[in-house]
Amino acid sequence: MKFVIEHLAKSFEKKEVLRDIDFTFVEGKIYGLLGRNGAGKTTLFNCLNRDLKADSGNFYIEENGLRREVAAEDIGYVLSTPTVPEFLTGREFLKFFMDINEKYIKNPKSIDEYFDYMSIEPEDRDKLLKDYSHGMKNKMQMLINIIAQPNILLLDEPLTSLDVVVAEEMKQLLRSLKQDRITIFSTHIMDLALDLCDEIVLLSHGELEVVEKTDPDSREFKDKIIAALRGEGNE
Amino acid sequence: MNKTLRISFSLKNTYRVNGILFALKQIPLLRRLLPATLYQVKGLKVFANILSLLWEIVSAFLGKFLYFITMVCGIGILYKELPENTVFLHILLILTVIGSFAKTHLFNPTKDKYYAMILMRMDAQEYTLVNYFYFMLKVVVGFLPFTILFGTDRGVPLWFCLLLPLGIAGMKLFAAAATLWDYEKRGFGYNENKLSKYVWGCIALLLAAAYAPPAFGFVLPSVVSMGIFLVCIPLGMASITRLTAFRDYYAINKELLAGLTDQMDSTAQTKLIKQANEKKISADTSITSRRKGFEYLNELFIKRHKKILWNSTKKISYVCAFLVAAALAGVYLLPEARSVINGIVMTWLPYFVFIMYLINRGTNFTQALFMNCDHSLLTYSFYKRPDFILRLFQIRLREIMKINAVPALVIGIGLALILLATGGTDNPLNYVVLIVSILCMSLFFSIHYLTIYYLLQPYNAGTEVKSGTYQIVLSVTYVVCFALMQVRMPIMIFGVMTIVFCVLYSIAASILVYRFAPKTFRLRT
Repeated sequence: MKFVIEHLAKSFEKKEVLRDIDFTFVEGKIYGLLGRNGAGKTTLFNCLNRDLKADSGNFYIEENGLRREVAAEDIGYVLSTPTVPEFLTGREFLKFFMDINEKYIKNPKSIDEYFDYMSIEPEDRDKLLKDYSHGMKNKMQMLINIIAQPNILLLDEPLTSLDVVVAEEMKQLLRSLKQDRITIFSTHIMDLALDLCDEIVLLSHGELEVVEKTDPDSREFKDKIIAALRGEGNE
Repeated sequence: MNKTLRISFSLKNTYRVNGILFALKQIPLLRRLLPATLYQVKGLKVFANILSLLWEIVSAFLGKFLYFITMVCGIGILYKELPENTVFLHILLILTVIGSFAKTHLFNPTKDKYYAMILMRMDAQEYTLVNYFYFMLKVVVGFLPFTILFGTDRGVPLWFCLLLPLGIAGMKLFAAAATLWDYEKRGFGYNENKLSKYVWGCIALLLAAAYAPPAFGFVLPSVVSMGIFLVCIPLGMASITRLTAFRDYYAINKELLAGLTDQMDSTAQTKLIKQANEKKISADTSITSRRKGFEYLNELFIKRHKKILWNSTKKISYVCAFLVAAALAGVYLLPEARSVINGIVMTWLPYFVFIMYLINRGTNFTQALFMNCDHSLLTYSFYKRPDFILRLFQIRLREIMKINAVPALVIGIGLALILLATGGTDNPLNYVVLIVSILCMSLFFSIHYLTIYYLLQPYNAGTEVKSGTYQIVLSVTYVVCFALMQVRMPIMIFGVMTIVFCVLYSIAASILVYRFAPKTFRLRT
């Protein structure tokens, strides 16, 4: 499976945020999307998730040489600030989700099995989500996004505000999930991108470009990325 | 000093102009036409400066004119038996006392103070004093024409009318100095927008003292009132030295303006709204549901928001039932009023559009829906599948219709009973039309609010309202309902019109929602 974006562009008034996004993502890899603040990472995700209408260009999924539209259930989108329906308990949210997605969930497990999988404690499972901690909300959001096993998983700076333990758990989880899907992980923390991702993609000046991951630990490599993000060197 | 005044002026103007430009950019059609560089346009700023200057002049006089014509002289006319000049001075004196601590300028938390002293770090003492004395000048100049005009008209000697503005300013200065003294003693900051219940009590007592005794023939003799005003002039002068000697203006303003930061910071404000909405969720752990899927979600939502939905609709229904009973009792006790009431019921149906507008729970429902449910669920792709959006729309419409229908039925049946008790009508169809049309009004509001919510979904992920169109639709709804209050029409004509309108509107709304909601029901970005 491939996820192909062709000439995607988006401007706000006269500001061109995405100028010409032209890229092919391949399954089984975690892509680290690096960009400076305001580079348009969230705008790109919003366009792909159809929260925002792009000005031009399109994107599709290519399977066995056949192209098809990206449907809502193809995409899982995890936001940096986790949002969960405050008036439900964790268990109720999960039940509701599984009820309405019966058709799409392959090999469903029991609700408690899912909670165990995410290390959500038994005493928290029947609390209202409004009383969950930040980390727990994040786990809940991640869980909902991975149960249906979407083909494309978009993560918008998901680890930035988590404590070290939860962050490590999440990293392990993402690594274990990367088979059979495309994971695109946006961040502006370079070390995190280098540690977790198979490919580094830079978003700068409204375009995407791959950085060859030669020797991730070398100073030179990091300098190269910084220079590219600053807009030196490649122009 | 001159510079400080000039800077304060231009600061105030800048944020007023930018505020207006920002508001203009929220209007759907204008937004496209106005460029992002709008804030740079010089001509607009000059124009706005001229407007501000004019407003500065008008506001100095207009408020005082209205104050005299209503509060002082307007009510003063009621006391015919007493000498005009004594009543005039009595009321003016007591209202001035109230004004001296309710309208201080010094302790009024305003945005311009926040920008100047907190954000731009202007010298607090100089800024405060310059603006305060400018305010005092406006008090004196603004009052002078009206003390002369209204004072001499009420038989107050001219020389005293000329001194009166100084007396008023003096009392304000004295009160300000006393408050600062109190601050130095107790360290307690005063805020004229957050008066304590004791101050409110004092205001109530003083208002009573201003207006009640004259009704019974008691007023302060004019010598006393005049004496107090005159004493205030040297007191005020002495207070000026006190005000200029005071050093802690920064601390006072810091405390005064602390609450303003939350108010002006829109993210902080939306956070407060969000928290307020979370509080509406019932913590009752016994609430469960046996349903499945969307019905499950809906049932839990309705049960956990019982307080703002069913409980309040029940309360409204009880009140309506009580009012109907009271009206029926009135009709029974006062047979001579029957024909009048009968006439009212027969022609005042349009009035009930506004009443139904006031009691419907549509906006509360959609706000809670967004804040506590859709706000988060809309970030998940599964929730945005077109069939799911429409399924949930149907369920929600059914719920809000049920909630709004209860008080509507009470009112409809109540009106029909009142009509019957006051002599009835020749055409029995009137009863049916009455009940059905009131029910239709409630259905209309249910559909209306949910439809515009689904079509315009005005909030962004930070729960800020981002749609100018949504605001405009809400205002137009209000204006139309308010205007209908003035209309008198027989039940049969207006009722049938309402029913037809409601049916047509429902059809149009359903078509629009089915066609567009899957695309429009998204978080704003």
